[in-house]
Amino acid sequence: MSAATGSVRFTRGLGFSLLALGVALCASLALGAGDVTPLQVLRWALGDDDGNVGFVVTELRLPRSCVGIVVGAALGVAGNLLQTVTRNPLAEPDLLGVSAASTTAVVIAILLGASVTTLQVWVAVLGAMCGCALVLAAARLRGVGDDPIRLILAGAALKGVLTALVSLVLLVDQRSADEIRFWTIGALAGRGYGELLGVAAPLLLGVLLVAYLSRPLAALALGERVASGLGHRPRLTRWLTLLAVALLSGVAVALAGPIAFFGLVVPVLARALVGPDIRRTLPLCVLLGPAVLLAADVVARLLVRPSELPLGVVTAVIGAPVLVAVVRAHRLPRL
Amino acid sequence: MLARPLGRFTAAILVPIMLLFTGQALAADGQSRTLDTAHGEIQVPADPQRVVTLYEAALDTTLAVGVEPLGAVATRGGTDVADYIADRAQGVAIVGGPREINLEEVLRQRPDLILASPFLADADYQRLSRIAPTVVPKHDAERPFGDDYWRKESELFADALGRHDRIEAVFEALDQRIERLRQQLSPEGDVRVTLMRWNPQGPIVMSDKVFAGDLLRRLGFVAPEIARTLTSRPHTDMLSLENLGRADGDWLLLATLNAEGRDALAAAQRQPAFQRLEAVRNGHVLTVDGQLWTSAAGPLAAERILDQVEEKMLGEPAADIAAQ
Repeated sequence: MSAATGSVRFTRGLGFSLLALGVALCASLALGAGDVTPLQVLRWALGDDDGNVGFVVTELRLPRSCVGIVVGAALGVAGNLLQTVTRNPLAEPDLLGVSAASTTAVVIAILLGASVTTLQVWVAVLGAMCGCALVLAAARLRGVGDDPIRLILAGAALKGVLTALVSLVLLVDQRSADEIRFWTIGALAGRGYGELLGVAAPLLLGVLLVAYLSRPLAALALGERVASGLGHRPRLTRWLTLLAVALLSGVAVALAGPIAFFGLVVPVLARALVGPDIRRTLPLCVLLGPAVLLAADVVARLLVRPSELPLGVVTAVIGAPVLVAVVRAHRLPRL
Repeated sequence: MLARPLGRFTAAILVPIMLLFTGQALAADGQSRTLDTAHGEIQVPADPQRVVTLYEAALDTTLAVGVEPLGAVATRGGTDVADYIADRAQGVAIVGGPREINLEEVLRQRPDLILASPFLADADYQRLSRIAPTVVPKHDAERPFGDDYWRKESELFADALGRHDRIEAVFEALDQRIERLRQQLSPEGDVRVTLMRWNPQGPIVMSDKVFAGDLLRRLGFVAPEIARTLTSRPHTDMLSLENLGRADGDWLLLATLNAEGRDALAAAQRQPAFQRLEAVRNGHVLTVDGQLWTSAAGPLAAERILDQVEEKMLGEPAADIAAQ
């Protein structure tokens, strides 16, 4: 494929993603489990002031949409980075146990007396970092890192251990149980600007790291020797990438709890649109991640009105078939 | 000869075991009573001495009619009996939690009567009924929280304990107190009260047929429609914050299993949708103990709930009412 058509493809992909995000955002503002209909929202937007519609849109749907945008972008990018650095198209913060490590850290913090509502995002980031370090250690074991499915199995084992740990905490400390139980499913409801402000620092740090990393990672994709020849340091790049993944997944977990399969779906979509170059897939993930997450959240709100489903349930239902499809693809693409 | 000592040895082991499993039969020598339970008619001892309760409402009833049980199960979300009843149940051994019964602990108490939940699993009943006569109240699978369901359970337990008159007196006093309070609190039957558990993603509204909700209804309070229309379930699903208005009322009772009820309240108050509720704007929000209000049942729990209603909802709002 020539450079010109690649660039056309990128522009087209970018346009499509922007459109998708726009549609998802509109749906997220217009639809909900309550009685406020899209038509009422439209009238409100055109200036027909009704206190109730305005309240539902600006105080309930808009804040949770903003949180959804941040979580979706963070998880999409984290998935993309993790797939690139482990050279594994199945890698994803949740499947590799990074989110589970983050969750476990939070649950232990709650057990030690912290409250979900006042929790520091750094606990989640620290947990995600431990998870990343374990993933990298597993990836460097001979035979595990080379085989995408084996790495996923190692991640599944880690996740199993950590999930058991969380269950143990739930059994031992029943007073925290209610608080944790709802949180470990993952949801956007009830989150708002206050929570966003709380994660601003690690989020900013993560974004800066990703901006810096896109070139070295693209070089690394050509092989370690080429990357070294171009003046990049592969080992440093890997560690910094994992730091970025930890920051972004920590932010996502702190905001919405663990959301399964999400980091897998978004990069797969992005690659289908613009090819494997990470310099092109990263910006797409920033747009597609929120689009997919908001769409899933809208589904979560509409399925069991007047109640809501936890978002984590919906993403798992959407994401699991994608995992199977990627594994079943004729040949697993090497990254 | 070897046979005789071996035979004696076997008998020495077998007889106590057989005694254990036939305690039921031995008690039946003219001094037992017959009860109609979920597992058919069973014989219980005329004057049970060693009672184990495997259900919070059974513990409550047993203490209310003046019998001291040997063992009981822990409350939901705790490792001991519920706080409201802890003083009266000091010598009681914990023989399991609300979901899992420790059969060995039950056996260790050598009970002559076991009082269990209507939701006791059949497999557990088979094992327990070999230890001692096990009383399981009947329940209607379609409408498990039908009219007077918890009173009927209490009456069955009291009958099993041979204290029928005591429970009648207890309920009569309770009804008089409810009627007195109703005249003061909601004589027109139009005061709207919502009992809910708060979760960060949205609240769960408790049915007005399950214990505490049933008491509130008898006090003349009206639950929101989403709670009134529940038939077989004790509470609604997690309500979307967009629909919080459907749970509004003149009073809002927030039940929390955490000791730190204030945390739950603080979390709720950060929510703009919560702030808009009429009850919140009027400062009519109370936090209540979830162990007592959403897990317990029985006459003692009822008296305690009425105490709290009387103390907090009659007259001027008390100091701990969240009017911020």
